[in-house]
Amino acid sequence: MTEKLATRDDASSAKSFNEAMGIGTGDLAGVRHAVDDGIQLALHGVDHTARPTWKLNETVEFYRDVLGLPLVHAITARGWGPPGHHDFLHFFFDAGKGATIAFFYYIGSERPEKYTPEGHHFYFATHTAWAVDSEEELASWKETLEKRGIQVSPYTRHEILESIYFTDPNGYPVEITRRLRETQEIDEVDARLTMQAAMEVESEARAASRLMDDIDAVWRRKAKLVDIYKKEDAK
Amino acid sequence: MIEVHVIDVPEFQAMVDTMRAKTAVTITGPVKGYWTISAPDELTFDRKAMKMKPAVWYGIFTGGLNGEIAHWGRDEVRVVGTNRAL
Repeated sequence: MTEKLATRDDASSAKSFNEAMGIGTGDLAGVRHAVDDGIQLALHGVDHTARPTWKLNETVEFYRDVLGLPLVHAITARGWGPPGHHDFLHFFFDAGKGATIAFFYYIGSERPEKYTPEGHHFYFATHTAWAVDSEEELASWKETLEKRGIQVSPYTRHEILESIYFTDPNGYPVEITRRLRETQEIDEVDARLTMQAAMEVESEARAASRLMDDIDAVWRRKAKLVDIYKKEDAK
Repeated sequence: MIEVHVIDVPEFQAMVDTMRAKTAVTITGPVKGYWTISAPDELTFDRKAMKMKPAVWYGIFTGGLNGEIAHWGRDEVRVVGTNRAL
């Protein structure tokens, strides 16, 4: 570690919102990879998720009173440094194992049109899946919430997860999920080959100034990569 | 020749099991974690016979498909041979 606590830069010294939030350009040209410096960074689970709300009462009622998740922390602030930042509340509900579900409520603001919930998979892609440990627990969530009057999806079995979905008063999707099995080495191998296939097909499409046609193109490329992989010398 | 690679994990095992009794279908593996199902002209997978949930069904060729999907339905998928580049 090269920074000392006393000399570490602090967000309050940032000159702009972009600087305070570390907002970059997204351009990876010249950006070095982990393998280049040999430093293995690691994460240890979720601390919190955060989304904005324009429904303060309903959000607290839903998470604290309907779901029954303890309200464990609340921050209030008059602005936050950069000009134009609203006064706000930032509050946290316990989601287990030290993780929390957090919201920002910006005082005196109205929900901009673009934050209106949409019935579209693009919108639903932004969600957090909260873990339960067993089939019984997942069933208990579904049955209990339904009895409390919440509309809950049917069970969905993905490859390694079984999930239920519902939305909160903001329209945000919430997923509750359980692991059907732990991932194995082959899952990692397969993920590498799948993503290699997809990235190759995407690069080729982009070079030809078109969009990828379908998943079939990825599946065909994957067949080729799996063939090669199978013939490589066994480890 | 059609080739379907199947990851050797429980959720896709029925793809291999339901092909065993079929004539003109060859199953090899698992080699390094992949089964390979091959057939000269055509392969048909039956979702209900495999007792496969829809969320997995829609991704059944995620292990790799050397072939062309001729019919894609909720309960049945038919694959034929192709000369398209992999």
